[in-house]
Amino acid sequence: MSTLTGRTPGFRTALAFEWTKFAGLRSTRWTMAATGLVTVAGAVFVGVSGSLQPDDTVLGGSLTLSIVSLMIAGVVGALTVCGEYAAATVTSTFTAVPRRGRVLLAKAVLLAVLLYGVAFVSCTVAYLLGGAILEDGAYARGEPLPALFGIAALFAVVGVLGLAIGTLLRASVGSVTTVVAVLLLPSLFGPLFGDARRWVAGASPTAALEKLTQTSDAGPEAVGSLGAWPSLVLVAVYSALLLGLAAWRLRRRDV
Amino acid sequence: MIEARELTKRYGARTAVDRLTFTVRPGVVTGFLGPNGAGKSTTIRAILGLDAPSAGTVTVDGHRYDRLAAPLREVGSLLDARAVHGGRTVRGHLLGLARSNALPRRRVDEVLGEVGLETAADRRAKGLSLGMGQRLGIAAALLGDPAVLILDEPVNGLDTEGIRWIRDLLKRLAAEGRTVFLSSHLMSEMELTADRLIVIGQGRLLADTGMRTFIEDHSKGGTRVRTPDGEAQRLRALLEAHGAQVRLDARGGWRVAGIPPAEIGELARAHHLAVHELTPVLSSLEDVYTAMTRSSVEYRGATCDMGADRVPGTTSHGKEAAG
Repeated sequence: MSTLTGRTPGFRTALAFEWTKFAGLRSTRWTMAATGLVTVAGAVFVGVSGSLQPDDTVLGGSLTLSIVSLMIAGVVGALTVCGEYAAATVTSTFTAVPRRGRVLLAKAVLLAVLLYGVAFVSCTVAYLLGGAILEDGAYARGEPLPALFGIAALFAVVGVLGLAIGTLLRASVGSVTTVVAVLLLPSLFGPLFGDARRWVAGASPTAALEKLTQTSDAGPEAVGSLGAWPSLVLVAVYSALLLGLAAWRLRRRDV
Repeated sequence: MIEARELTKRYGARTAVDRLTFTVRPGVVTGFLGPNGAGKSTTIRAILGLDAPSAGTVTVDGHRYDRLAAPLREVGSLLDARAVHGGRTVRGHLLGLARSNALPRRRVDEVLGEVGLETAADRRAKGLSLGMGQRLGIAAALLGDPAVLILDEPVNGLDTEGIRWIRDLLKRLAAEGRTVFLSSHLMSEMELTADRLIVIGQGRLLADTGMRTFIEDHSKGGTRVRTPDGEAQRLRALLEAHGAQVRLDARGGWRVAGIPPAEIGELARAHHLAVHELTPVLSSLEDVYTAMTRSSVEYRGATCDMGADRVPGTTSHGKEAAG
């Protein structure tokens, strides 16, 4: 019947679909912008107020608020899928693309690419701004490269982590709460775990961020002795596993 | 062509759809009827691969929906026209769907023209009236020029003109050889639109037949007979003597059941009674449907009585989820 023939839809068309949905909403555009702007604003604030510990680095100080940006990134990830459940557009999405794993993968790739780009640009701008405002020579500069690539990758990973949590929980409020809890609680409750603190707090995405930004908060007694890059890999691995679990659940349950 | 074979869906202990077997054929409009909670939406969700059947199969043109490579080119569906993100524009919503199935961009403008939403293309979905939202849902269903259309309550929120528009549209699409399957709780509308009927109650098939056949087979109509006032009682006695059931018709005269119109006329002539009207009356679809599904509704009421936390008649608990 259909007179419309053409190439067979695949992953690329699913990605184009997700991009159209993502870009077509003011709310997602603004949240994405906020992810970048918060970090930059933090660098300006720290620079102007000079509120930097003497042993801190320019990189660590400039990226003080990147932890907030990281939370927004996780929330964006969760809302990418929870928003569809809330507006019931998930039925329209899955009737258009019944391969649910493909939909989830397209969302993950889109989030990862966008967050990597936004985080790399905003963190670089924040570092340069912070360095320009802060008094020359008063602080160690820290090593921005290749750390900035790792920080950008961490944003991508946390976006995917949020997506996985949102897919598993479906409800917006619960997912956002969980994302924030995963990022905040390990460092808050870490001290309660005694010797295990280094493991509890050290495995969190927050710890990876602190290590990558080389802030003075990232002492081994607080976040473990695992290096910055192994921490990033650890977070990436469990985020990928959680996404796999989310895909498995998504394919098996009723929409 | 939509084929359900022994389709069964259980949610925990509750069986929403129970060994349902039916075929929806191309070329005609097929109506899907059942009281709220009968399993209509569950069936439609199973057809579209959204809910997995507990047992049995349902296919569209021989394929499971989730195996279709480009589903929008084969099946157009409307489940809930409100299911558009309010912040999205009309065009943006359709464009995303078009991209998902590699449909040409021109289709977006074509379907917008077809449903009369050209001028609203750049408006955000939350600003649309109920009727416009419904038209957007229809536009999305038509986007891939599909051979099969599945529409859940498509006339919801449409005004008289909109209802007439959708009726003509569906009839035209069926006449083009497409399979058109729609559910509606508006009986009078269904009677005008559908050629065939699939009726379910409590998840089970009650009827799968042509609209006319369904009404004629289940009709308790009879014949309306009017005579001059002075002869009415004589006619009644005469007809009852010949085995007819006679009662007052709401529109005046007698409603006669049990003997055919021709025999009524012959009897009246033989006894020199004047007949001013002799009209065969068929029940409406609504009458037939109500009589047919009453038993299942009563059964549902009875099960509610037994539920510890359910009080019959209270609005919050008495309402079933939309079928």
